[in-house]
Amino acid sequence: MLNLVALILLFPLIGTVINGLAGKRLRKETVGYLACGAIGLSFLVSFMVFIGLLQLPPDERLFEKHLFRWIESGSFISAAALQVDPLSVVMILVITGVGFLIHLYSIGYMHHDKGYHRYFCYLNLFVFSMLLLVLSNNFLLMFIGWEAVGLCSYLLIGFWFEKKSASDAAKKAFVVNRVGDFGFALGIMLIFLTFHSIDFTEVFSAVSHGNFEKGSFTVTMITLLLFIGATGKSAQIPLYTWLPDAMEGPTPVSALIHAATMVTAGVYMIARCNALYLLSPFTMTVVASIGVITALFAASVGLVQNDIKRVLAYSTISQLGYMFLACGVGAFTAGVFHLMTHAFFKALLFLASGSVIHALSGEQDIRKMGGLKPHIPVTYKTFLIGTVAIAGIPPFAGFFSKDEILLEALVRGNFIYWSLGAFAALLTAFYMFRLLFMTFHGECRVDHHAMEHLHESPKNMTLPLVALAGLSFVGGFFGIPGANALEHFLAPVLGGHGHTEVRGAVSAGHHGAWLPYLMMVISTAIALVGIFLAYQMYIKKPGLSKKLAERFRLIHKLLLNKYYVDEIYDAIFINPTKKISTQVLWKVIDVRMIDGSVNGIAWLVGRIGSVLRHLQTGYIRNYAFYIVVGCILIIVLAVFGR
Amino acid sequence: MLAYLFYIVAAITVTTAVYLIFEKNPVFGALYLIQTMVSLAVLYILLEAQFVAAVQIIVYAGAIMVLFLFVIMLLNLDIGEETKNALPYQRIPAILMGIALFTIICIVIRSKLLQGKQDQYTTAFVQGVGNTKLIGNLLFTEYLLPFEITSILLFVAAIGAIMLAKRKL
Amino acid sequence: MTNVSIMTFNILSILPILILSGFGMIVLLVDVLSSRRLGEKNLLAYISLIGIILAAIFARSPAGTTLFSFNESFAIDNYSLFFNFIFLLSTGLTILISHSYIKREEINHGEYYALILFSTIGMMLMAAGADLLNIFIGLEVMSISIYILTGFKRSKLISNEASLKYFLLGAFATGFLLYGISLVYGSTGAINLKQIASFIASKGGISDPVLLMGMGLIIIGLGFKVASVPFHAWVPDVYEGAPTAITAFMSVGPKAAGFAAFLRILITAFGSAHDEWQKIIYILAILTMTTGNVIAIAQTNIKRMLAYSSIAHAGYLLIALVSANDMGVSGTLFYMLAYTFMNIGAFAIVIVLSRKGDEFIQINDYAGLGFKHPLLALAMTLFMFSMAGVPPTAGFVGKFYIFSAAIKSGYIGLAVIGVINSVISVYYYLRITVIMYMKEPTREFAPLTISPLIVAAIAISVIGTLHLGIFPSKVMEIAQQATLMLK
Repeated sequence: MLNLVALILLFPLIGTVINGLAGKRLRKETVGYLACGAIGLSFLVSFMVFIGLLQLPPDERLFEKHLFRWIESGSFISAAALQVDPLSVVMILVITGVGFLIHLYSIGYMHHDKGYHRYFCYLNLFVFSMLLLVLSNNFLLMFIGWEAVGLCSYLLIGFWFEKKSASDAAKKAFVVNRVGDFGFALGIMLIFLTFHSIDFTEVFSAVSHGNFEKGSFTVTMITLLLFIGATGKSAQIPLYTWLPDAMEGPTPVSALIHAATMVTAGVYMIARCNALYLLSPFTMTVVASIGVITALFAASVGLVQNDIKRVLAYSTISQLGYMFLACGVGAFTAGVFHLMTHAFFKALLFLASGSVIHALSGEQDIRKMGGLKPHIPVTYKTFLIGTVAIAGIPPFAGFFSKDEILLEALVRGNFIYWSLGAFAALLTAFYMFRLLFMTFHGECRVDHHAMEHLHESPKNMTLPLVALAGLSFVGGFFGIPGANALEHFLAPVLGGHGHTEVRGAVSAGHHGAWLPYLMMVISTAIALVGIFLAYQMYIKKPGLSKKLAERFRLIHKLLLNKYYVDEIYDAIFINPTKKISTQVLWKVIDVRMIDGSVNGIAWLVGRIGSVLRHLQTGYIRNYAFYIVVGCILIIVLAVFGR
Repeated sequence: MLAYLFYIVAAITVTTAVYLIFEKNPVFGALYLIQTMVSLAVLYILLEAQFVAAVQIIVYAGAIMVLFLFVIMLLNLDIGEETKNALPYQRIPAILMGIALFTIICIVIRSKLLQGKQDQYTTAFVQGVGNTKLIGNLLFTEYLLPFEITSILLFVAAIGAIMLAKRKL
Repeated sequence: MTNVSIMTFNILSILPILILSGFGMIVLLVDVLSSRRLGEKNLLAYISLIGIILAAIFARSPAGTTLFSFNESFAIDNYSLFFNFIFLLSTGLTILISHSYIKREEINHGEYYALILFSTIGMMLMAAGADLLNIFIGLEVMSISIYILTGFKRSKLISNEASLKYFLLGAFATGFLLYGISLVYGSTGAINLKQIASFIASKGGISDPVLLMGMGLIIIGLGFKVASVPFHAWVPDVYEGAPTAITAFMSVGPKAAGFAAFLRILITAFGSAHDEWQKIIYILAILTMTTGNVIAIAQTNIKRMLAYSSIAHAGYLLIALVSANDMGVSGTLFYMLAYTFMNIGAFAIVIVLSRKGDEFIQINDYAGLGFKHPLLALAMTLFMFSMAGVPPTAGFVGKFYIFSAAIKSGYIGLAVIGVINSVISVYYYLRITVIMYMKEPTREFAPLTISPLIVAAIAISVIGTLHLGIFPSKVMEIAQQATLMLK
């Protein structure tokens, strides 16, 4: 069954090709169900591969499918080969599973769009690229997927490219990602220089055979460079700025970017390279710090945003921060676990918010919502489940994974990590419920015009919501403490440094066995406090928030403007670059020097060509004369040329 | 004695070939060509290649040249018009280059005697077996493939002749 | 000597040649015997294609290894088999693109197909010939067929002129080649390449001026066939005058055959005299690339432009010849295959877009093609990119291998000149793309008659160009095996 793995890639590719080439001529239904079917089949095959992998003994769960030899140049050999192991299987299940639901949802959501086939073509390509990224068995192929994901995000964020904000956002996403990709590419080059190979198995076995001492400079450089790539894709400080803008794309695309594809790439990559990262304590500290700071930072921005999708976007950045925190303290399993649960509830939240926007004919400002609960009951219920899950209330998915991360941060890391993380969790619960309350509860602030069209979304949109709500509910049980199925499954890849060991150490050590349970209680309490505050401010005393905003005007303004990071970047990087580009590079170097010399050379060569053309007289004796001249030249060279 | 004969015949060959190029009357030109062919045949005989000499006479001097003459006479070609020289500036360099090429070839050829393949086919051996028989043997053993492919070559040439000459296909 | 010794010959080794000549004659017979009513003569194209496919099936060493038959004068090794494949591919593609073209030009005669098949025989003999005699006979069979094919449009003066020019200059160059062969035979007493090599080895290299001149003259003769400067002057006139399908054919097949013989003679026979000939080829390579590319820029007729581009490509291939290492040889094989796809593909599109009597073959006639016929324009763009050497196309990989071969052998200067030249070439290749996409159409494209066969040819070329560009390793591996047999 494992041999089928290539099919997982093939189906979305076929979907892309057919929709790309013939989509215009196909009927809308055909296009949509073709794209859906492709991902659905992909999911089925992924599941079969998963079953196949389960049948192997845990230590042998590594399968490589060689597709073809790809690039060979001297000592550099790269094959196009796929790798199936527990980590990649978890990823493909999430990608195809959540991806399928998003595709299904898109059929309804995009139904009136005139770029229907283009949309599904890109969407399939997006899933294909992401699958390529997680299935590749070497860094180069992974990089191809990495780049392709960036390209697809560009295409999809800028899907409504007639809108300037959309095409600007697309450009921003692409450029910011390029910065990260540059680091990633440098990291790959350094890996090749160091290990003379870019195959995962070879590189990691070289690492594990201990040729590199802990904290060696090369490994630190490699891991830092790779991490720069991860900050770009996974929207961490300082390269996170593209993600909030990325909501300019259609909402299902946001769901795809935030949940199943794209942003999880960085976390996956670091988990994949855990052997390397463990060798560099410095990088680990950097990763954990960036993670926790991002988590807190983004959560604080999320407190005051008024655009429903923007709040969710900052919450994604914040949640990704948790995942990096987990990776940074060495709890890779916890990171991947949170990645998975986050995929469920974040996809759910985005799709539900899409449903809200759909119902309100495109309104995204939560100040113009409120009291929607009775009008769109299914959306409300599912949104509620997603909110509870992200806030971290047991037994919903987000609780287990977030709790896991916070515990690991405390045990493996230090108290600062934990306290910052816990505070971010408080903020998360607060702003998510603020969102929920402002959208669905309280008085209705919807204008009349939108009110007339207010309606619950069609079946093919609510169905994915219900499915994702189910997953958000049960998703946590894969990694429930005690019988941690996910951790055992991932152990061959992510090593024995899973949390069971930690818990063992905890119970044996000075912390005592009660610590995990205490932590659970604390986590729950924190979440409840957040919810309570939100309830107080937005349901009980609706005026309170305004007063607070007045009171702390400066902070409020700072948060509302997202700490002015975009403006700072503009001032420091973008404007000077633009200035240098136009004033110096373009006007002087490009126009004067490069264009001048290129045009000059082209003109010169053209002139020479026209002159030489006259040698072509058309007379045989003339041509024969050339032959004789050449003949003399050659004989002289051959005989007397020594 | 043979050496003198060689030089005389060689001189005739070259002279008639040069005349052939400069002759403006096509009939005379054809006759010079016959003379060149026959002189070559004599050279072959001097090299003890009687069979090749005979073939040379029969094929070139006999068949091909007679055909040439027929065509020339039937078409009633006049003395060629003086075509205007379209490349006046090429004349002097061309002559110089021709002389240069000739000189170089002379220098190179003079530097060494060519011996060819001697080991097996000595004069005595060739006379013992017989010139024609030996060639036949070689053609059907050692050089069978080129010999057979030559048939395709001739076939192609025949197709070409028909293609280019036939009025309507 | 009364007994005729039984020589070593293996009839299976020349089976492809026999098949092709048999099918050539069948084509002629069917043409004669079938009624004139049949008119369409589709059958002839199919018969020829069947012959080519059969020949390709049987083009292999009977024993699966290197085999020398006919008294060591005919080599069936991976090298000749690879070239046989290129020849058969180019012949097959030529027939596919000819079918509608010769109907349109009203030169739809059976001889056309027969001559193409016969010239393929000549090419195969050139690639497989292990002695100078076979190579020479092969060259003549090939050349004479193509002289005739060049003049196949008998009613067109330009076609006649091209044929005559090609024939006269070809005969002139053949004279040099033959003189060279006789001098080599005179000095070494051998026409077999291996024997020549062992003779040179026994003398410890070449110092004999006669032998050197012989070698030089052989280089001239073959240099003419592969269209290297200064023996190139015939190329533009002949390419322009010949029927377009034949232009496609002779820019690929005979060039490949010429290089096949070139490599085999220079490396097998004169391998130990590398220092003596590399400087000649070095200069030829530079002259050829530069002249081809520079003059191509000034062309307005697409056939002439492709003619100069074909000269330039010969220059790149000469770089591989100079480096004369395994990588250069396998690079030549690879490049030739890539060139077959992209060049015949480009000519196929020229055929599709032109009209009877070679109308619309000016580069400006392609303006606006990108809007009217996007797929054709896309294919043309692909071929142009490939010729310019833009990744991920076959042309890029081919150039990459050739230039690396030069660097590996220490000819860094030559590789640099090659790269500069391919940069120059980008100008005129991309100009076609620019004209296709960025200019308003100046003519009507409306009724293009596109036969399925020519579509197949374009499709094969596109797939080949892309496949070799994206997955070169498999083919390269085969090409590398081919070179092992050479030395």
